[in-house]
Amino acid sequence: MKFLTKINRPFLISLTTILFMVSIAGYFVLQIVILDETKESLLEKEYFIIKQIEESGKPINIPPIIEVKEIDSLSLKSPAFTKIYVNDELEDEQVLFLEYSNQLKIKDSCYSIKLRQASYESEDLILMLSLGLFVLLFAAFGISFFITKKINKTIWAEFENNLREIENFSFTGNQKLQLIKSDIEEFDRLNAVVKNLTEKLETDYISLREFTENASHEIQTPISIVLLNLEELLQHDLTEEAFRKIVSSINAIKRLSNLNQSLIMLTKIENEQFNADKTLAINEIVKSKILEYESLFESKSIKVEFVCDQIFKIKMNEQLADVMIGNLLSNAVNHNFKGGNIQISIREKELMICNTGEANSFNTANIFNRFVKGNSRSFGLGLALVKKICDTHKLEIEYRKNDLHCFIIQQKS
Amino acid sequence: MKILIIEDEIELLIAISNFLIKGAYVCELAESFAKADEKISIYEYDLILLDIGLPDGNGLELLKNIKKRQLNTGVIIISAKNSLDDKIGGLDLGADDYLTKPFQLSELNSRIRAVLRRRKFDGTNVLKFNEISINTESKTVSINGTDITFTKKEYDLLLFFMVNKNRVLTKEAIAEHIWEDNIDLANSFDFIYTHLNNIRRKIKAANGNDYIKTLYGMGYKFSEK
Repeated sequence: MKFLTKINRPFLISLTTILFMVSIAGYFVLQIVILDETKESLLEKEYFIIKQIEESGKPINIPPIIEVKEIDSLSLKSPAFTKIYVNDELEDEQVLFLEYSNQLKIKDSCYSIKLRQASYESEDLILMLSLGLFVLLFAAFGISFFITKKINKTIWAEFENNLREIENFSFTGNQKLQLIKSDIEEFDRLNAVVKNLTEKLETDYISLREFTENASHEIQTPISIVLLNLEELLQHDLTEEAFRKIVSSINAIKRLSNLNQSLIMLTKIENEQFNADKTLAINEIVKSKILEYESLFESKSIKVEFVCDQIFKIKMNEQLADVMIGNLLSNAVNHNFKGGNIQISIREKELMICNTGEANSFNTANIFNRFVKGNSRSFGLGLALVKKICDTHKLEIEYRKNDLHCFIIQQKS
Repeated sequence: MKILIIEDEIELLIAISNFLIKGAYVCELAESFAKADEKISIYEYDLILLDIGLPDGNGLELLKNIKKRQLNTGVIIISAKNSLDDKIGGLDLGADDYLTKPFQLSELNSRIRAVLRRRKFDGTNVLKFNEISINTESKTVSINGTDITFTKKEYDLLLFFMVNKNRVLTKEAIAEHIWEDNIDLANSFDFIYTHLNNIRRKIKAANGNDYIKTLYGMGYKFSEK
């Protein structure tokens, strides 16, 4: 959940609750207030009616609002308010009235006074007022909600921007991390921490990178010296034993050098030092690789079937694409038998390379791990490199074994 | 033929120059950027071997200076880094070739000869060994004056042998020359036998001699006897 949603949601929920509660409470308070007012106005009317009777001696009657009758004796002890239903002649229906009844002795005569006031009018008024209250509150809350939202947005905009900046930051790119300064202390503190961390990481990253490159240089140079000297020794007249020993030393030192280079390449891929700068057609690379390996296929009498109906295009580093396909192809040759075959098929977003081979030459579980070898004399880095290259280019690689050994590379969508 | 070798590792420098002197080249040595820069400004060379990882300066800068002063000099970059960017950068700046350490002397020799041929320092495009001659421009092989059809790999292999005549070449060195490091070499030796047999057969069919000798099943030597 986004931060703003997290803040806005409870805000909205409490506002709505308050809105309804206040409106309902308002309704009841108004009801009480208006009832009181009605009672007061009835009492006031009574005062004027008594005064009128005292002066003229004649009671007024305006049913059903005012009913004054002369009676023989007083039977009611105290005045009372009651609610009654009276037939409304205008609309011909029962209407609720508030009735005030009292019995009084005025100038030796006893009177019964009944004053009534229709309460439906006040009910309507209460409803109207409550509704008005609701609408006003709703508008006020709504406006304040949108204003807060707007303010939050502008305050968090810089944070959002910085977050995006951090997300897109990469050590391999040349750009420095550019964070926007805000006038909010907490955000600035966060920026300072992030900046310090990235600078520290960047120097570590650069020194690691330099170390790998320097290590490569430092290792390759002594290897070169050994190799050149051994090669010169080989030119002398040698016994078979000496000759064999020198050749095997040359091969061992070459393996060491290749191993070193493969490991450096793995590290460089892990450090994302290869830029995926070009859109490549896998079809073309496979085609040129097949051509390049032609005599290798011939030497093992391997038949190659290449089916490409669709074009597999991908943004990738050229050198890595070359290594990936080269390694898969030489793998398909190395683990093949004489007279076997290789099937390559390309579809949109999929490359499949299958080869014949011995049933158990691979262990499916750890096939992509480093230094896991089949029965070939390789280092077991070829497929680890392929896997790493796939991982860094959003490609999925899968090994399937049925009659054939198949490697399937698919572009994740 | 005058060659300047720029390499900061003294032992490597000496090993390379000893090898080239045996090949009748005149060698001058420079073990630093400063020394190399000085030599470039004074003398003219047919070829410069340039290690771009010098301690006191970037070899690519040196390459710019070389190309400014001596346009016709061939340059082969030697680098410890197998980096495509460096390679492309170097070739863009006018280098003729790029060799990654560690390399074998036979491979270096083959590259040097190729550059010299391309820059016409050898004076001719034809490489001769008794009855066998190779025209490197038309990429054809003729034996006793008759053109023989060679596949590209067979041609490459024969040229490699002839350039490195009288030298012992291991199977690995040959495979690497043909494949240029691109391949896991573990199982790729069979094809050398196949190609060598084809070459021998074709030369024999044209009444040529078999100059390719097998040494203990581990190496080959192209020589008179």
